[in-house]
Amino acid sequence: MNRHLLFLLPLATLALMAGFFAWSLLAGRDPASIGSVLVGRPAPRLEVKALREAEPPLTDALLKSGKPVIVNFFASWCTPCLAEHPLFARLAERDGAVIIGIAWKNKPEEARAWLKRLGDPYKFAGADLEGRTGLDWGLSGVPETYLVDGQGIVRRHFRGPITERDVNETIMPFLKGAK
Amino acid sequence: MLEFLLALLTTATVGALLVPLLRVGTHRTERLDSALAIYRDQLAEIERERTSGAMPEAEAAAARLEVERRILAAANTSDSTAHAQSPGFHRFLPPALALVIPLLALGVYLQVGRPGLPAAPFSAQRSAPQANPDEPMSIERLLALARARLAETPNDPDALSALGEALVLEADGTVTPAALKAFDGALAGRPDDPRAQFYRGLHDAQSGDSRAAVARWQALEAKSPPDAPWLVMLRSEIARVSKAAGLAAPPSASTAMPQPSRDQVEAMQSLAPAERQQAIRSMVEGLDAKMKENPGDRAGWLRLANAWKVLNENAKAADAYAMADALSPLDTRMLTDWAEALVRQIEPGTAPPPAAVAVLQRLEKAEPRNALALFYLGAASFASGDKAEALKRWKTLLALLPADAPIRAMLEERIKAAE
Repeated sequence: MNRHLLFLLPLATLALMAGFFAWSLLAGRDPASIGSVLVGRPAPRLEVKALREAEPPLTDALLKSGKPVIVNFFASWCTPCLAEHPLFARLAERDGAVIIGIAWKNKPEEARAWLKRLGDPYKFAGADLEGRTGLDWGLSGVPETYLVDGQGIVRRHFRGPITERDVNETIMPFLKGAK
Repeated sequence: MLEFLLALLTTATVGALLVPLLRVGTHRTERLDSALAIYRDQLAEIERERTSGAMPEAEAAAARLEVERRILAAANTSDSTAHAQSPGFHRFLPPALALVIPLLALGVYLQVGRPGLPAAPFSAQRSAPQANPDEPMSIERLLALARARLAETPNDPDALSALGEALVLEADGTVTPAALKAFDGALAGRPDDPRAQFYRGLHDAQSGDSRAAVARWQALEAKSPPDAPWLVMLRSEIARVSKAAGLAAPPSASTAMPQPSRDQVEAMQSLAPAERQQAIRSMVEGLDAKMKENPGDRAGWLRLANAWKVLNENAKAADAYAMADALSPLDTRMLTDWAEALVRQIEPGTAPPPAAVAVLQRLEKAEPRNALALFYLGAASFASGDKAEALKRWKTLLALLPADAPIRAMLEERIKAAE
């Protein structure tokens, strides 16, 4: 048997991999998108301690108030959270959106100091130090944002920071349409 | 000292290599000799055993034959290797390499080496910022400075916007509510404070209103003096935010310039500075000729004017601005550029010519506090004998100038002369 053909094996493997990477890059596939099983289904259980002192814990009732809510997982140690924070501040201030913020794997005193410095857009704020609520909600990291309609159904799941475009094209129509 | 030791070490190594390498030829013959000596011993032993009767005659003959065959083979291989390896080449290549490589290294070092360069160990680099108390980029220091200034003069717009900027830096570039409050305070005291305007725009962009941010920044750009140090940063921010938000690229003289192709840029870079200047000039002259054929292209005239201005051809730049202006009146920023091209042609100490005065008056009308217009129109009034008008303009300008402006002393002298 021609042993020289064996030398082609690593080359063929390389060509196969290069082809896959090129396809991934060029086919317009978003490699960061891992989808979400939650969209269109009832929101997972919400049962988390309050972040701010002397506030009652957060419960499922908040998600079924008849009004759309935005659920945002954040952490003071997360830089993309810093970038999206002014957008939530505006949504809360100018558009009166109800935003539930959950500090994920974040010491409550650090999260509170962070909110004090940057402004606090959260009508309700929870502290998920162990990340258990994050697990329930299928979180892959922070920041992640869920749009939950008045009946408690998840309508949209953003993995990563939201952008101006998301606000204008998705969140604002959602807030107006779901009311 | 270290270099000397290294050179010594290299010399010793080369020497140690060269001695055996130059003797390699004799080695080979020695090896053949020693092989022959062994075979000779073996032959002698066979002979001894045969005579003592320990080995039968026939066996001894066979063994001798075998040894003789080996002797022939040894001589053959020695011969063939010596012939095949062209002895001269193989003899001199290793010593030549041993000499050439250190010499080459020495040559390269003399070419690019910098023996005088001081050492820069990592630990020294890290400790340097702490050792220097004048380090300008310490955020704590900036905050403390701004707060100290505010304690002295509360509501000072400068101090407020410095505080806001420090707060933004502290929050890793996010305009926080506290910073926003400081900027709003600064803007209440001085509505066109460029720093506060810039960060208000940044806040707009960060909170999802890129359109408002770009509009605010473009207004700031139009109001900024053409040599303002923040213009480069401002323009790049405008471009960045409008691109991210998918807004149309802002029309700006600098970005509307036709971009030379990659090849052209590479060709330019390979030229000497004087040749490059010449090449740029010929490109601009090409544009000039094209504009004369197609004089209705206002944007083209503005590009040409800008190019001539950069090349310091102020008369040609002023002409091009006039052509663009005739097609449709220029905005304040362009008027400023035009006026600049005009006043750059004035001999120091003489009054501006009527053409320049006309442009400056339009500029003053569009922007009553424009420093360029105030100064040169004052000079024109002074030359025409209207000292009161000249004094009014110059005093307004003096009030606008920062305390450390370099032209302040000259302006004060002129005011004194007019009074």
